Amino acid sequence: MRMRKHQWLRTTLSRAYYCSFSSSFPLKHVTQSNFESAVADLKTHLKAADFVAIDLEMTGVASAPWRESLEFDRFDVKYLKVKDSAEKFAVVQFGVCPFRWDPLRLSFIAHPHNFYIFPRQEVPTDSSSCEFLCQTTSMDFLAKYHFDFNACIRQGVSYLSRWQEDEALRHLNLRYEDELSEQARDVPLFSITDILFSERMKNRLREWRDGLLKDTSGGSQLEGSFLNDSNQQFQNIFYKMRPALSLNGFTSHQLRLIQSVTKKHFKDLAFVRVEGESSCSQQLVVYTDSESDRDLLKKEVMGDYRRQAEVKIKAAIGFRHVIDLLSSEKKLIIGHNCFLDLAHVHSKFLGPLPFEAEEFVHSVNKCFPYIIDTKILLNTNNILRQRMKKSKTSLSSAFLSLCPQIAFASNESCNLTFSSSVKVEITSKKDSWGINVLVHLPGAFFVFKSKFCSSKSQYKSSSWISGVKHEAGYDAFMTGCIFAQACNLLGIDFKLYSPSENLACNERLQKHANLLYLSWINGDIIDLSTGHRTVESLRCRDLKNWQTGILFENIVLIWGFPSDLKTAVIKDRISKVFGPTSVTSVCRLDETAVFVQFSKSKLVADFLLVKETLDRSNDAFSVLHPLSTILEGGNTCAASYETYKDICSSPLSKVLFADQAQAVGIRWKTKLVERKEEVEIEEQDHFREENAANTISFYMEQN
Amino acid sequence: MVAVSPLLQRRLLSTGVTKTHHKPHRQWSIKQVKKSNFADTLEDIKSHVSTSDFVAVSLQNTGFYAAPWQRVSPFDTADTAYLKAKYAAERFQVLHFAVCPFTVRASKVTAYPYNFHLFPRAELKMEMPSYSFYCQTSSLISMARQGFDFNSCINDGISYLSSEQESAAKIQIGNPMLAKNVTKSTSIHSIADSVFIERIKSHIKNWKKTCKETSTRKEDALVRSLRKLVLGNEEYDSRPSMNIDVCSERQAQLVVEMLQEFADDVVPLIIPAKGGATQAVRVVLTSSKEDKDLLQGKLQNDEQELMKKIRGFREVIDLISASQKPVVTHGSLNDLTFIHSKFIAPLPPTVDEFMCSLRLAFPLVIDVNNLMKEISPMRKVTNIPVAISQLKNRFFTPIDMEIPCQAMENEDTIHGQNVVKICELFAKLCSILKINPAAVQSDEEKQASALEAYANIFSPFCTASEEPINGDVKIWANNTRTVSCEDLVFLWGFGDRVTAGMLKSLLQESHEAFSKEFDVRLVDNSCAIVIFWQCGLSETFLNTMNKCSDMRGPLREMVSEGLRAAGYETYNRACRLGLWESRLADSLDRALADPDSASKADSKTKSSDICNEWIINLDDL
Repeated sequence: MRMRKHQWLRTTLSRAYYCSFSSSFPLKHVTQSNFESAVADLKTHLKAADFVAIDLEMTGVASAPWRESLEFDRFDVKYLKVKDSAEKFAVVQFGVCPFRWDPLRLSFIAHPHNFYIFPRQEVPTDSSSCEFLCQTTSMDFLAKYHFDFNACIRQGVSYLSRWQEDEALRHLNLRYEDELSEQARDVPLFSITDILFSERMKNRLREWRDGLLKDTSGGSQLEGSFLNDSNQQFQNIFYKMRPALSLNGFTSHQLRLIQSVTKKHFKDLAFVRVEGESSCSQQLVVYTDSESDRDLLKKEVMGDYRRQAEVKIKAAIGFRHVIDLLSSEKKLIIGHNCFLDLAHVHSKFLGPLPFEAEEFVHSVNKCFPYIIDTKILLNTNNILRQRMKKSKTSLSSAFLSLCPQIAFASNESCNLTFSSSVKVEITSKKDSWGINVLVHLPGAFFVFKSKFCSSKSQYKSSSWISGVKHEAGYDAFMTGCIFAQACNLLGIDFKLYSPSENLACNERLQKHANLLYLSWINGDIIDLSTGHRTVESLRCRDLKNWQTGILFENIVLIWGFPSDLKTAVIKDRISKVFGPTSVTSVCRLDETAVFVQFSKSKLVADFLLVKETLDRSNDAFSVLHPLSTILEGGNTCAASYETYKDICSSPLSKVLFADQAQAVGIRWKTKLVERKEEVEIEEQDHFREENAANTISFYMEQN
Repeated sequence: MVAVSPLLQRRLLSTGVTKTHHKPHRQWSIKQVKKSNFADTLEDIKSHVSTSDFVAVSLQNTGFYAAPWQRVSPFDTADTAYLKAKYAAERFQVLHFAVCPFTVRASKVTAYPYNFHLFPRAELKMEMPSYSFYCQTSSLISMARQGFDFNSCINDGISYLSSEQESAAKIQIGNPMLAKNVTKSTSIHSIADSVFIERIKSHIKNWKKTCKETSTRKEDALVRSLRKLVLGNEEYDSRPSMNIDVCSERQAQLVVEMLQEFADDVVPLIIPAKGGATQAVRVVLTSSKEDKDLLQGKLQNDEQELMKKIRGFREVIDLISASQKPVVTHGSLNDLTFIHSKFIAPLPPTVDEFMCSLRLAFPLVIDVNNLMKEISPMRKVTNIPVAISQLKNRFFTPIDMEIPCQAMENEDTIHGQNVVKICELFAKLCSILKINPAAVQSDEEKQASALEAYANIFSPFCTASEEPINGDVKIWANNTRTVSCEDLVFLWGFGDRVTAGMLKSLLQESHEAFSKEFDVRLVDNSCAIVIFWQCGLSETFLNTMNKCSDMRGPLREMVSEGLRAAGYETYNRACRLGLWESRLADSLDRALADPDSASKADSKTKSSDICNEWIINLDDL
């Protein structure tokens, strides 16, 4: 979901230019019906590509309001939130856009693909993948931009993660072994009808077998007589070069009885189940020459059966083939603020997400060794920051400010010059649905080609569709264009660039490669190749938040207080008890919970102790105590920041935080923390006081 | 069991008669209602509901269960079945709600089907009606196969708020509300109260006087606005008004009470605070009695308009509820838990409370499944089209479906026919069971009660005619054999390669409790249920499981590899505590690990209570 990224766009851009552009944008939509041919095409494009931009659309971002990204998220909590989101929501669209540098035309050629995907469960897997969560606002957002839910559900390409595939194959192997070791178990004969039926079947089969043995040449005569009296329930066929009876019109119970009879009374007959072409299975009784021949046949049948199941599993891999291609080609992947996207890729196509961010990052790095995030690039590179000036780095605004010629291209006629350095050229091209983004060097000189953009009148008559902007394929295209332009601005000369060289290893890009925003609000950056975290240094001055000074061990989490309690009141009451400078800040988690940051970590322990004492005592003093306002109702709970992490790691998601804490199974009201050793505290106190003072002064400056 | 007249049996009838009833399958025209035509449809459906005898409803949800063991199964008691349905109702979303008011007269059914497309859009920018919801992929795919249009549902679906959400929304919007007329409270006023009243009273008198004076005096506009600034007077709907801040509900009540003295021309409005309490009382001065009525009428109207917008589809639920007509469903537990949680209030923790709460809204709920169970060959059938065709084959019950054409545009979707089929099935069943559905509206008590005997039964696997046996559950849907919950043991921790048959043979060799007749069934691939057909053996077995010493043979080996066992109470607790893991084994492990399980004595008495209410009839409550 690019919701956040696009909110700005919705308000700023006039809708007039969307329409003309969107209706003509040559995006390749891929569903079940054209998947195979599209993947074959994409494969050649991917192999030739210099970099591949990706983008995902999901059914939601946060499973509860308090699970949204907050300022008070420590890096590990942030990862837990991303993990929760990726595990619960589904990906409904996957945009893949390979870009190739064309040295003859001196331009990039892009091939945007828009895959509709839907977890169809073609192979029974773990139950967690049979359902997904939808966030109402996200669905509404997708609908507003004309997302085609029908196409997605009816026609979406299914997928199987690597882990799911392994599991399915493992189960298949187990079943295969089981079936080999214990063939049909004896069916106890309970009722008279069962006994009679078994007896009748025994006679029938003996008749048939004896007939075969008696007269091997006169099969036709035998066939006729046998068919007539059995009401076509038996049919003579040949199976694997052996005479066989196909059984029709029996109930499964009767079939079990026949199987049991065959096993018990006939050494030379084999009962086999054959998977038919139209997925309905067919039961056969096959005549074999000997016992060894029978075992051979059974093995053969099992082998067939297994192979068919394997084919089915392979077929269910579906969209993951694209991910496997991206991974095996080791191409440079471009995304825009793509940490969540990669978490989705991991959980949907690789395997379950690990519990630690470092482990996740390692696993992603192994699969995709080169990733560049355009949001990081735009925010951390000095040249690009200057170029972007103060403008926002959301995908669409970055696209507008870096590549205006593409964004506005279709609104104008061909060969329009916007400024002295940028030229946009629109010409028709017969054979391809792709767009040619031609970056002419030196200077930013883009040429944008499309076969649809041949006449001006076409735009005017085109129907008003605003959808394309939020389609994964188009978003991936935008991301790729931003990257191409950014490279250009960084002075990477594509003319001197050889295709064998990996862009990610370019000296100008190298220091930005494999870095991702773990959290954009906090400027937390994680290095995919090492797992190290850094806090963004450049942007700190711009951060209007004072979070740089967050000390998580100074934080108390309070929840379950009366619903009309105001944040200011909470701060006031706590300050009354612990002193006017004791509380650095109070931040709402949701209507039922707050974070209180104290100036010293020992105050955390003190507060929890006071709260616990108040909870237990019931005298007049406790009623008059300033904290009693917060404790009113008797459901107020408090704990340190670690508890917040524990609650976030739960797979449950209740809308209100207080309900969540209860659902997670928290029965206590206060979780005391031990006060640290005196010596240590003194030392730290000094440090923290200084730190807190800095934080406060910083805060004051901001105000 | 009702004896069915053999004359009705189809096989005795000449083929000539039956042929006339083999009409090709018809497509009924059903009105599709979305946001755009909802307001227009409301009046129609209102009149149709009021003129019909029954209202059939049918829901299509985004899912039914999150894991195989979480679907309602025959070994569930009414309580665990409810808890499972509750979990599903809270988790999934209704996207399509079909309502069909219908009347049965002799063999003719007159039905007015409506298909409402719902989407829980947050019309108010609050996290209501639902922040998020789950989708089961298989449910969505089967809906798509039936021709359900997801695009139009999400774009143009009708939103709604439950009754409870509506009151919460009112407070959050914070619009001033008309104060309800309070009858003089009998409580004696304290001195503080009297002082407060007197102070406010004189304040209001003064304010009224100034208002009257200034309104007659001719003044410069500037002077007037300055005065307004200085005095802090406000205008409400171009009438002078004043806010009286109150500190408590008591004070608010006193103010409103006192204001009755000025009832001729003063209208009190309550301004709600965030938490739902009263923040202030706004006093609006009107120029005359007529003006006052005008203001009151306008305020009421405004509020209603806003609420109508907020309520959305719930308007339909409200009008069905207000009509008190019997509601006919197929799978009532599932449908009504959804209706309750989405349109009335969050579901209560126990089935009893649910029944009480539901009964206030819908006094009579008839599940066609319960009628069907009376006819012995139909006991197992749960699919409507199959049921109809089977009835057609066995009984001669011609039903003439009349659907007065409503849908103007020819929307030929195969989707949404279900509700009409429920009407048809209901009429057929009534005719076979010789119940006169027309009598439900009449005063003939005898006839009416015939139908009521089948009403309000929410246990999916029991019938009205069966004697409720203490704590008995059925193990198989198609078997009448019942067993007490006490004789059931859950086994898990045996790996995923074991079949029920293997487990049974392993158990047979390992404990004397298994020397008598017993059965083993897999609940899901992680957990099995063992049924002891002889009383008391389950306890012996569970005791053995707790002591390693008595174990022998394969059982000992299995226990050392992680086999665990627990009685029905643990299962019950897992449901009650909402430990809905995807594997039943994990849920049971958590239920055993729960600190509450230590207090076993307490929970045990509870469980027998629950079991006693195996069949719950609303009328018993």
